[in-house]
Amino acid sequence: MSTAAEVQAPPRLSAWSRFRGWLTNPWGRPRFLVVFTWAYMIWALVPVLIAVQFSFNDSRSRTVWEGFSTRWYWGDPVDSVWHDPALRNALVQSLKLATADVLIATPIGVLLAIGLARWTGWGSRPSNFLMLFPLVTPEIVMGVSLLLLFTRVFTFVGTGTTAQILGHVTFSISYVVVIVRGRLFSIGRQYEEAAADLGASPAVALYRVLLPLLMPAIIASAAVVFAISLDDFVISQWLSKGGETDTVPIQIYAATRAAPLPSTNAIATIMMVLTLVSVTAGFLVWRAFTRGERRAGTKVADEAGAAMQMR
Amino acid sequence: MTRGEILLIELSKRFGDLVAVDSIDLNIAGAEFFSLLGPSGCGKTTTLRMIAGFEQPTEGRILLDGVDVAYTPPHKRNVNTVFQNYALFPHLNVFDNVAFGLRRAKRPKDELRRRVGEALELVQLSGFERRKSSQLSGGQQQRVALARALVLNPAVLLLDEPLGALDAKLRKTLQIELKTLQQEVGITFLYVTHDQEEALTMSDRLAVMNGGRIEQIGAPQDVYETPETLFVADFLGVSNLMDATGRGSVDGRCRVEIGRFELDAGGGPSDVTGAAKVVIRPERVELEPHEADSGPNRLPGMVERVVYVGSAVQVLVRVATGETLQALVTNTGAELPYEQGTPVTLHFPADALRVVPAEGASEAEEPAEDSSLSGLESR
Repeated sequence: MSTAAEVQAPPRLSAWSRFRGWLTNPWGRPRFLVVFTWAYMIWALVPVLIAVQFSFNDSRSRTVWEGFSTRWYWGDPVDSVWHDPALRNALVQSLKLATADVLIATPIGVLLAIGLARWTGWGSRPSNFLMLFPLVTPEIVMGVSLLLLFTRVFTFVGTGTTAQILGHVTFSISYVVVIVRGRLFSIGRQYEEAAADLGASPAVALYRVLLPLLMPAIIASAAVVFAISLDDFVISQWLSKGGETDTVPIQIYAATRAAPLPSTNAIATIMMVLTLVSVTAGFLVWRAFTRGERRAGTKVADEAGAAMQMR
Repeated sequence: MTRGEILLIELSKRFGDLVAVDSIDLNIAGAEFFSLLGPSGCGKTTTLRMIAGFEQPTEGRILLDGVDVAYTPPHKRNVNTVFQNYALFPHLNVFDNVAFGLRRAKRPKDELRRRVGEALELVQLSGFERRKSSQLSGGQQQRVALARALVLNPAVLLLDEPLGALDAKLRKTLQIELKTLQQEVGITFLYVTHDQEEALTMSDRLAVMNGGRIEQIGAPQDVYETPETLFVADFLGVSNLMDATGRGSVDGRCRVEIGRFELDAGGGPSDVTGAAKVVIRPERVELEPHEADSGPNRLPGMVERVVYVGSAVQVLVRVATGETLQALVTNTGAELPYEQGTPVTLHFPADALRVVPAEGASEAEEPAEDSSLSGLESR
């Protein structure tokens, strides 16, 4: 039995151990992780923010700030994104590829996902695994193989826009499949069974029940596909014919090596905003569609939600 | 003529090496409330899913009103299902959920509106048409699932543990409601559950399943009072089980030996000889103060534990043969004169004591005697 007098006074702590205590206090918030996270955020974001800042610079310098202006977006009659034909073409080409990619890869990916998720039998496991292949193959390898394919085997394709679209679709489909398949697994078979039980043929069940339930995943994957297509450099570059078929990342790369101007920063900023908007929009649509599902008792711990946050 | 008669003939389902349903025969009459009762993995849900059409039988036939439907796809069968998690379509509101089946059947608009209204009225959910399923409580969702299935006026309604996700109090209310509803609509209900109380409360008849086979079929009272196998005795509530040796019939009752004691059992076959088990329900065991010579069908023992369970008091007694038995005493408010260590005598009324021949007992050469004696000596 210890009395109050026997209890020792807490030892006097040095500043360093007090700091360590503050950092690792098991009853407080995980401060170590908070510090770590913020350090990483600053490290990752500051260069981007500086690049964005200099896209609004009033002079040709990319290092010395001389006041705010939008001349590199449209003001400058020669070198702005709007007036430089190379930059404008690149923007158009990038948007063209991304749009075509979304329109082609999303429907194919959805059908593949349904097929793979609902097909059990010989060969279903390897096929499911193979779907991840394009995600882990080094892009440069895929780019080379596609180039050889289009210039040696299917020579009618050649290089240029068609080849670039085919290339983008090839690797985008995997993303759609992974996101939609995750949703399919989480909603399970019960809704399809309920539809069949109430007299819906498999085709009607697909159209009336499965597709509406998959809609958040479909929209989310379309947003992801749009964003990664805009981002892509390697495959676009390998399959580009040069000139008009150069995309924004290719232009930025070329311009930065030659004679960099703040207009390069401007077009990079535009790309970044487009990517952010598409992914954010996809995520918001996902959230809006799946709201209330948790309360309804179905699980929403989806791979797709994780995949959205991953990007 | 009542419709909704189900006949299962040598129905089997195997998943690879696993035998989920092992050649069962079952005859369910039209407009009957029939339950399949058993522990998880006993094949009850697989049986239901085969009748619904979600699984194809490996062997056997499913006759629905005399027509073999084993190879009819689910959307063409005149049966409807209430799923365990209801499976209400989350993208549709209550009205559209209930109207889903009628729309597939291409019913005209005014008929559709009328029938959906009637179905929702039947489950007391009029006025909830525009709600989404996420805006309903568990009990309300369960009613929508019921309305969605009943609106199609099926020959048979299949219910797969529909009350499993609800809390105890709501379950009790809905049990009574379901039974009333079934009598109102006159549709065959096939109810799958692992809850013995649910099955006993609602069913006209029930089948107890175990390991893909049916152990016993009968009215709730028959199955509870006269279990034919040890599994049924054990699964339907707590039972006291004792190893015994049959000594054949005496005055139409079966005389059994338990250690050095002799009891007469009124239930079960009366001519059992050799190793057997005797069972008695805890509520039928009578507790008496300990006396030297108290009469037939009694075993002396000592109170091991007294457990208060609310409506009753559970008294665990270790009897002279070494086994611990349970007696359930209804809580009348009076204080029980028993506590740990009190010597008592247990009375087993002959009509409550039941002999169940042990599996493969006919070959065994009276092995029970030695073991029960050594059990005595070890005390």
